[in-house]
Amino acid sequence: MSLVQQSSAPNSTGGSGNLYDVLELILDKGLVIDAFVRVSLVGIEILKIDVRVVVASVDTYLRFAEACNRLDLESGRKAPTQLTDIVGDTVESGAKGKSKGALTGAVEAFTESFQGGRDDSEDKDKEKEEEKRPARKSSSSRRTSQRREE
Amino acid sequence: MATYIYAITAADHPLRLDGLVGVGENPSELRVVRSERHAAVVSDAPAELRAKRRDLVAHQSVLERLMTEGAALPMRFGLVGPDDDQVRAALEQEQDTYAQRLEELDGRLEYNLKVARDEDSLLREILTESDEARRLRDHTRSNPDAHGEKVALGELVSREIEARSDAAGERIAAELAPAAERSSDAGPTKAHLLNVSYLVARDDAAAFSQAVHEAAEKYGDDYTFTLNGPLPPYSFV
Repeated sequence: MSLVQQSSAPNSTGGSGNLYDVLELILDKGLVIDAFVRVSLVGIEILKIDVRVVVASVDTYLRFAEACNRLDLESGRKAPTQLTDIVGDTVESGAKGKSKGALTGAVEAFTESFQGGRDDSEDKDKEKEEEKRPARKSSSSRRTSQRREE
Repeated sequence: MATYIYAITAADHPLRLDGLVGVGENPSELRVVRSERHAAVVSDAPAELRAKRRDLVAHQSVLERLMTEGAALPMRFGLVGPDDDQVRAALEQEQDTYAQRLEELDGRLEYNLKVARDEDSLLREILTESDEARRLRDHTRSNPDAHGEKVALGELVSREIEARSDAAGERIAAELAPAAERSSDAGPTKAHLLNVSYLVARDDAAAFSQAVHEAAEKYGDDYTFTLNGPLPPYSFV
C-alpha cells in the first residue's frame, strides 16, 4: 500500500510543509463576501492544480500508444529477482544519501559553533541550529510511526 | 486603509492571535473587528498581494490557530474589504448565515484526500483485459509505421483510462463516505483520479484516518493515497 499522511496541525509543521497539496483549497475554496473584492493574484494560474482536461488529440493518443508499446506485460513475472535487486539498490542508495545529508548538516552545525568566537550572536545561531535539528528529527519519526501503524 | 480578512468566528471565540503574522512583505498586526454576534480576524491589506508562499502560510497559519480553539469560517485567500467599518457591516448583514454555518462546523475538521494510480499499472491492466488493445499493441509493435492503428490504440486506451479512473474514484469515494459527515468532491485532476474533501467530527478523526489507511492498504502499491488534515473547513463554508 502507499499512503502519505500529512498532518497540518499547528505546532507541527505550521502548515507549510504540505502547502502544495492544499493550495487549491486556500485559493479556490473558503468563504467570500460578495460585496468585497478579491485582490488580483498575479501568476496564480500556474499555482493552481491542473483540472483534468480530456484532450482528444492525436498527440495524446500517440503518447498512450507509445507507452503501451514500451510496456512489457511479462516483465514483472519473468524477472522478479532482477526487479527486486533494482529496488533494493535504489532504497539503499536513497538511504545512504539521506544519512549523508544528515551527517553533513551535523558537521556544518558543529563547525559553525566552533568558528568565529564566542559572542552572543554565534551562540544564538548555534541554539537555533540545535532547535531545528530535533524538530526535523521528530517530524520524520512521526512519519515513520505513521507508516508503522499501517 | 483596505482590510484583509482571514476568518469569521462567533463573538465568544478566544481569538488567541499571539505569535501570528499577517500577509504581506511588512505585515501589519492582526486585529479583530467585532459585531454583536461575530468577530472577524483582519489586518491591513498590503498594497500589493501575490500568492507567495510566505503569504499563503501566513493566511493558513491564522486559520489553523483559530481552528484549534473553536469554530471559524475560513475566508478564501486574498479577500479584501474597503475598511473595518464595512467588514463590521458585512458581519451584521449576514449574521444569520454565519451563525448557521458556524454551528454546522463546530467541532468538525476538513480532511483532503487525493488518490493517484500508477500509469503503467493501469496500462498493464487495460492491455491484459482488453483483447482489442492487445491486438492493436502487437500490431503496432511489429509495424512501427502503422499510424492509424497507433491512433486507434491510443484512443481506446485513453477512453479506458478515463472510465477506469472514474470508476475507481467513485468506488473509493463511496467506501469512505460513511466514515465522514459530509464530503466535497473537487473532481479528478490530471494526476489524481480522486480529489475530495471530507468533513469529520473531531471525535471521529481517528476512525476516519483509520478508514483511509485501510482503503490505502486494500488498493495496494499501484495507488497513492495522500491525506491532508486536519484543515480549516475551506470546502464546507
